[in-house]
Amino acid sequence: MILHYIDLSWRSLKRTPLVSGLMILAIAIGIGITMTSLSVYHMMSMDPIPNKSSQLFAVQLNTTDDGNNWFTPDDVPLQLTYKDAMYLHNTDTPVRKTASIRTGFTVHMNNQEVKPSLSGARAAGKDFFAMFDLDFVYGSAWTLEQEIAAESVLVIDETLNDKLFGGENSVGKQIYLDDAIFTVVGVIKNWDIHVKYYDLNNGSFNDPESIFFPITLWEPMQLMSYGNTNGWKHEGVTTFEGQLQSEMFWVQFWAELPTAKDVQAYRDYLFAYLTEQGTKGRYTREKPEFNLKDVNEWMEYNNVVSEDNKILVGLSFMFLAVCLANILGLLLGKFLRRAPEVGVRRALGANKRQIFLQHIVEVSVLGLLGGLIGIGIAQLGLWGVRVTSSEYTALADMDLSMILAAPTIAIGACIIAGIYPAWLVCKTQPAIYLKTQ
Amino acid sequence: MFEIKPIFNSLLRSKAGAIMLLIQIAITTAIVSNAAFIAKDRIDFLSQESGYPEEEIFSFVTMTFDKELDIVQKFEETETMLRNVPGVKNAGLFNAVPVSGSGSATGLGLQPASEGGQDVRSAYFMADENALDILGVSLIEGRNFRADEVIVSASRDVFPKVILLTKELGLELFPEGNALGQTVYFGVTPLEIIGITNTMKGPWLKDSRPENVSIIPFVGASMFQHIVVRTEPEQRAAIMRQIEDLMIQDHSKRVIIGLQGMDERKKDQSSSDILMLRMLIVLIIVLVMITALGIFGLTVFNINKRTKQIGTRRALGARKSAIVRYFLVENAIICFFGIVLGGIAAILMGQLLLENYSMPALDPVYVLVTTMCVFIASLLSVVMPASKAANISPSIATRSI
Repeated sequence: MILHYIDLSWRSLKRTPLVSGLMILAIAIGIGITMTSLSVYHMMSMDPIPNKSSQLFAVQLNTTDDGNNWFTPDDVPLQLTYKDAMYLHNTDTPVRKTASIRTGFTVHMNNQEVKPSLSGARAAGKDFFAMFDLDFVYGSAWTLEQEIAAESVLVIDETLNDKLFGGENSVGKQIYLDDAIFTVVGVIKNWDIHVKYYDLNNGSFNDPESIFFPITLWEPMQLMSYGNTNGWKHEGVTTFEGQLQSEMFWVQFWAELPTAKDVQAYRDYLFAYLTEQGTKGRYTREKPEFNLKDVNEWMEYNNVVSEDNKILVGLSFMFLAVCLANILGLLLGKFLRRAPEVGVRRALGANKRQIFLQHIVEVSVLGLLGGLIGIGIAQLGLWGVRVTSSEYTALADMDLSMILAAPTIAIGACIIAGIYPAWLVCKTQPAIYLKTQ
Repeated sequence: MFEIKPIFNSLLRSKAGAIMLLIQIAITTAIVSNAAFIAKDRIDFLSQESGYPEEEIFSFVTMTFDKELDIVQKFEETETMLRNVPGVKNAGLFNAVPVSGSGSATGLGLQPASEGGQDVRSAYFMADENALDILGVSLIEGRNFRADEVIVSASRDVFPKVILLTKELGLELFPEGNALGQTVYFGVTPLEIIGITNTMKGPWLKDSRPENVSIIPFVGASMFQHIVVRTEPEQRAAIMRQIEDLMIQDHSKRVIIGLQGMDERKKDQSSSDILMLRMLIVLIIVLVMITALGIFGLTVFNINKRTKQIGTRRALGARKSAIVRYFLVENAIICFFGIVLGGIAAILMGQLLLENYSMPALDPVYVLVTTMCVFIASLLSVVMPASKAANISPSIATRSI
């Protein structure tokens, strides 16, 4: 029966090409515009690590004086001081945790074959790779012993490995970072994320670093952070050592807490730590303040999805509503004009349900066609987005869920628009139309 | 004379179509007035002057990986080398690049920071006495740095004693306008204001105070060093192409990154605004088109439905203009209610945006202009089908009865 209805709708479509075309065009444009902004929104807000996002927590400690303002909604600084971060990094709880800082080096092989190039690098703990689900192609993370001894070892990603070693197993080989010699202990698969959720300080959509090395090297190498450093009181810091001991915030810290019990235990631990720091007179604050935010909360807190994008998504759904009102008006006309035909069908024994269903199938066909053309329009829109902004290159794309969403939304919207006209037409009294024939 | 009453009554008898049109017009009015307002806001942002001759300036970063090198000495030589390149007007080391999105800011206070008190946010550039010439910024009052006031050092143990400010920063620090000659504190270091410059933007266009900028005569040559070059505008592209070779020739243990013209850099920093602007413009145009098409479609349908009625009216002596007028007035009635509703919705939506997002308050003029435009567009889209309807021959009405 459904097949017959589909056939009927196809015939009806061919009979009124102008009005049908107008309706399909309206849906297609509405869906196209909506899917363009929704796809970007989806890519930005997508959970970057779905299987673990509720177990990884960004740690924030408020070690400023009471009444000090910060640019976060709750006045808690986004990053930690070096001394706090390293203290938490070196304790036993929880099992996996890591402080990390972004920096960069000139990478070269001390020969003429490979042109020196600048590469972003991240100082981190050995747990970093396991925490963020980074898979190794060759080798593994450095060991705790190597980290404690601050050995010059590093992990690189596949792209850098291809560039420096032609993709061979490079474990045990040496690389120069600036003028220091490092030994490769592992090569990770390229980290394929759209949002750099583990470090949202300098642009949420930057690429992950290609080099990872033990954070214990920071002090001996006297490195410089490439990320933000924020102070809040005058300290007169002029030396490297002074910065390490200062109250400035510039280190990120993540902890992996698999169960609610772990979360509670860590909360208690942080509370005790801050209480102890407070009593030492490091800052004046009545009640210790800290945050544990999981990956999705962290992205929300850092406003990864820009206001503009949220507004655009809102506007485009309103746009879709206009298209729907448009279609509804046209459908009313189209269906009611067919009342005599429906009258005959009713007289021949079709019941109201069947008439209703027939018309709903017809609008669904319109929705499907509009949705399919809409995907094309959305692709065009996304292409425009990519051309306009380099930042959006990886973000302006439709994944499978979005491609499936387009016709689904289109059909759903069309059915909503079609219910009233279909209901009107199925109420047709056969007698009236039979009389006029 | 417009037969408003009978038209209105006939509208009431077939409400659904009219209501759909009304809703469509209302939402269109609400979206277009807000979108147009946001778009205008972005156009203002994008067309602001940075205060620099952007097409003459480019910059890059030199990453040096030679720890034995006397970097201060080497960069002096590099500067001289760059200044001697044909077509280069001037070049120098900077701690940060204007309108690049990355730089340093501090609070300049009227007292030393250790004593607390108010301070005023200021982005600062550290460069030598060539800074003003490199950036193409002119002095309004006072004088430029003398060469002997510039501190060249890899550490911050010695700090300069003078500073240049933009007029905007000067006014915020000293509202009476007597900033020249006064002392401000950078942390605990006192600095004498020796000159006031014309407007220039700091590193961040979206700063709370983008025009609060100061220049401090300090050259801290570092391993990661920004260099800004000003050239003859028509030679910039050619010089940019050879800059990497020149720099590597000058010293081999170097990597050059981030080579970009200032205009490009500014564009990059505002790319999300350009994107928003384009999206909004597309949205407005397509929306108005869809609404116009909707009105067109609905009028065509109405006319088809009323062929007989129109024929009868014509047969009874109605002029063609009366038929056209009927449809125009009918549309105008719907449209009137639509734009009134839309105007209210637009203002509510503007308030919502103001409260939840950092959008400026909606200017009512935009609502007014939008409603006028929507009204005109809707009348225009009726004219064509209505004049076609006027050509319906009276005989049609009589024939089919």
